[in-house]
Amino acid sequence: MDISRRLFIKTTAVALATAAAGGSLTALTGCAAQGDSQGGASSSGGETTTYSAVCRFCGCGCGVLCEARDGRLISVTGDPDNQSNRGLNCVKGYYLAKILYGEDRLTTPLIRDDASTKGTPDGLREASWEEALDLVASKLRETWKADKTRLAFWGSGQQPITEGYLTAKFWKAGLLSNNIDPNARLCMASAVVGFMNVFQTDEPAGCYDDIDQADAFITWGANMAEAHPMLYSRLTARKLSGNVRHYDLGTIRTRTSASADKTLIFRPGTDLAITNCIANYLVSNKLYDEQFVNDHCQFKAGTENIGNAYEDDYDATEPGNTVDAVHGISFEEYAERLSAYTFEYTSELSGVPVADLQELAAVFAEPGTKIMSLWTMGVNQHNRGTWMNHNIYNIHLLSGKIAQPGNGPFSLTGQPSACGTAREVGTFSHRLPADLLVANAQHRRYTEAIWNLPDGYLDAIQKPGFHTVKIFREMSKGNMDFIWSAHNNWAQSMPNLTRFLGYSDEYRGIYDTFVVVNEVYPTITTEYADVVFPVAMWVEREGQFGNGERRTAVFEKAVDPPGDARWDVWVLLQVARRVLDGEAIDGQDAFNRLFGFVYDKEADDFVGDQREINRRIWEEYRVFSNPTMNERAAAINADTGGTFGATLKMEAKQLAPYDEYLKHHGLTWPVREVNGEWLPTRWRFADGPQEEGFDQYGVAQYGTAGKAAGLDFYKSTDHKPSVVFRPYEPPAEEPNEEYPFWFCTGRLLEHWHTGTMTRRVPELDRALPEALLNMNPEDCARLGIADGDMVRVTSHHGSFEIKASTAGRTEPPTGVTFAPFFAEETLVNLAVHDYYCPLSKEPDYKKTCVRIEKA
Amino acid sequence: MGLHNVLPALAAGILGANVAWQAAQNTTELLRPPGAKTEDDFIARCIKCGRCIEACPYAVLRVADFSAGLAAGTPTFDARAHACRLCEDLPCIDACPTEALHPLATREDVRIGTAVINEELCIAFKGMRCEVCYRTCPLIDRAITIDYRPREGDAIHSVFAPVIIADACTGCGLCVERCVVSDPDVAIKIERSASAHAR
Repeated sequence: MDISRRLFIKTTAVALATAAAGGSLTALTGCAAQGDSQGGASSSGGETTTYSAVCRFCGCGCGVLCEARDGRLISVTGDPDNQSNRGLNCVKGYYLAKILYGEDRLTTPLIRDDASTKGTPDGLREASWEEALDLVASKLRETWKADKTRLAFWGSGQQPITEGYLTAKFWKAGLLSNNIDPNARLCMASAVVGFMNVFQTDEPAGCYDDIDQADAFITWGANMAEAHPMLYSRLTARKLSGNVRHYDLGTIRTRTSASADKTLIFRPGTDLAITNCIANYLVSNKLYDEQFVNDHCQFKAGTENIGNAYEDDYDATEPGNTVDAVHGISFEEYAERLSAYTFEYTSELSGVPVADLQELAAVFAEPGTKIMSLWTMGVNQHNRGTWMNHNIYNIHLLSGKIAQPGNGPFSLTGQPSACGTAREVGTFSHRLPADLLVANAQHRRYTEAIWNLPDGYLDAIQKPGFHTVKIFREMSKGNMDFIWSAHNNWAQSMPNLTRFLGYSDEYRGIYDTFVVVNEVYPTITTEYADVVFPVAMWVEREGQFGNGERRTAVFEKAVDPPGDARWDVWVLLQVARRVLDGEAIDGQDAFNRLFGFVYDKEADDFVGDQREINRRIWEEYRVFSNPTMNERAAAINADTGGTFGATLKMEAKQLAPYDEYLKHHGLTWPVREVNGEWLPTRWRFADGPQEEGFDQYGVAQYGTAGKAAGLDFYKSTDHKPSVVFRPYEPPAEEPNEEYPFWFCTGRLLEHWHTGTMTRRVPELDRALPEALLNMNPEDCARLGIADGDMVRVTSHHGSFEIKASTAGRTEPPTGVTFAPFFAEETLVNLAVHDYYCPLSKEPDYKKTCVRIEKA
Repeated sequence: MGLHNVLPALAAGILGANVAWQAAQNTTELLRPPGAKTEDDFIARCIKCGRCIEACPYAVLRVADFSAGLAAGTPTFDARAHACRLCEDLPCIDACPTEALHPLATREDVRIGTAVINEELCIAFKGMRCEVCYRTCPLIDRAITIDYRPREGDAIHSVFAPVIIADACTGCGLCVERCVVSDPDVAIKIERSASAHAR
């Protein structure tokens, strides 16, 4: 017989193991069927109700329909009526329902009694809401009374609009603190400062429909195929429709490069030179659109040689405190400054062949060709991120390819409500709602009018607060006493975690800071929390997102939150009620003055149901963009007294009544009331019929018809956007003998940000279970690293271990490496530096220098 | 009949029954380690020593159980549970003393089988942006590519259809392990009979 004893033992063991696996597998399948989001076959009775919603994840803003039965979400499918995705989703959206049902949902408030247990999964005990709220409120009030600079709220581009609005109102008007900033600082801040500097208004002139009409696409450091999946499907559909070109520019080859017609790989940071090279070509060969430039452009230069925020006091010192300064220059001076950026010089600097640069530049010189530039983190998370935003606008302004259907520089957003909440509401340390700035007196007066505050009340917050990196740098030094975060996971997503998480003896501040976290699942951040508030997730309450094309959409509440988890707004107001106890504004109870319109302090309850509360908050917020709704605000908007010497033109961001958004499944602002109908705008500043999506009423009210391309940039100073010359300056770190590699981080299709939701979806976890370091095979061979080997990545700032891969999902050139940041067990941000764009204060996650060794 | 005659007869009977049973077992779709050629060649050479199983750094390989008949004890793997990681140095082949696993010049020469997509089940063919199989493929853009197709009746979306390039597919099964679809079945599988060497 051929059956040896060894084999007999082996096969028996295997047979037993199989039986065991089969048994448990059956049990698992049973469990899964009950919670299955796609099958939708629930055996229990009850009515199925359908709710309209927006995807929880990226900035695309795909519409979805949620079906709930017996208090449980049984399916989430693409909304066929939503014009932006027409029933389709990416694989994350396909499994959306399951994000609610991870086994370890937080359902009870948690308190940490011993701060030394921070950084471990232990040390949190269950508590009542009363105890947790009292504790947080007392810590906040104590800090507030003692030293307002030592408290901060860190919000998010995933915070729904009404929640962000109310949080900003509490922080800015209630606490008179500007120490509130969102994670959008890590994501869109460079885009925002670019918009403000160039157009004096935030967010793009164009919209997603531009994709359907463009003749050429340029992706600038953007892996759209993975980070904006459904928009990339749209771009691809346009390409398939005919003779449409796609140039992909980046520092690594990605899945986006795979379908591009041409990929231009440049040395990190030299995109600044490439854009100037294109501008130089257009200007020096007189291939720019002269009529457009005469009608619409003014030219400027700004502070140069601005260095980097290596030191914590950078912002306050030269040149940090002069980085925003600009001055007018002539077109000839602009041309002169550009002249150094020849094809030869730029090619040598960037590594892109001269012929490729020439081919790309020539596209901008084609008169009839409609060009769409698309970019996101590669441009924004850049030590000159604001400058790079400028430079893209520069070439679109020079060529007149902007704000017209199919023609547009388009800044893609990373998060579902980076625009709607962080930017439009203004949850930044320097902002007030609707693009308004704390530093501007007219803006403060306008806000006081709408918040029913005495004139001058907000003068106390005219100085901007701490931006994100500043908050955490101060925390690490023991200079913060209270930090509250919601809708983010900063202990994984912040750069320089070695410092911020107190790994080194020098920076142990996190152990002394009282950390409060609103969360739905345990995260690395909750491991550092002193109090965790369990909150409602996504469609467990009603909310609103504003996506990258200025589209505001409501997601309806479909199910209740689990256990004792509560709506963030309730948590906020409970804390506000306690902290503001005994405080008065103009002789009236402060809480009632600010929040009486939604919350009855005496009854300790909301004044209506969740729909009504959202509607009321929205209707107050809407006054900011509808000044005629408030007499005092209207006078300041029109500058009737001549006090300010300028009108605010707040109607430029006009929002519609709340119920219009429910009716239309989302609208792009400005939304104009025409014969009782609220009509969206797709192309801002472009004259044309409102019914077709043009900005008819904006141009009529504030602009002049008949200028080049039918445009009037009526929000810009002198109605002319600024072409600002921004030179090439090198990255904050460059490879050297000790740290010879560039390390770039980013997002991949299967997981959303830090993976706290998507990794709890079994299908998505199966699809991408681990983070890998993509390396060039030549580098691997040189270092003796095989595909699949564990390696240690070390920077000047910190170090982590990760498995190397040469499989080619992303293909870095030699000397460049890439890894995603979704995996908490592979904490790449331990090594990433926190040097930021001096203008936007957004960190550069793409260019840390590292060494790589076999682990 | 003496006892000494009974035992061999019994043994022969058992053997005969086993051979008949084994013949009834179709093991040609069992996934074999890298380097295995046809099932006949592999069965003829494999001595069930288990060395390839011990050499596998990812513990992917296991022994075939009794349901494989006489092939029980030969090495195989379940791609859905643990796919072959296509180690650069192919340690399983190195460990094989009988060349049941034939030496290969590179891992790209591995031919365990060929991935086959069930287009009815695959959500990418429905217009969803998935393509997990494509992005996870160790030979991305070579063994699996994307065929970008217009989506019928929808001018603003396209279908990113994953397509297997049979000549390049090693049959490692990573696409099967990672596929998000499981109900009623995984949308991709490895067919050994369809692989290049079997044809």
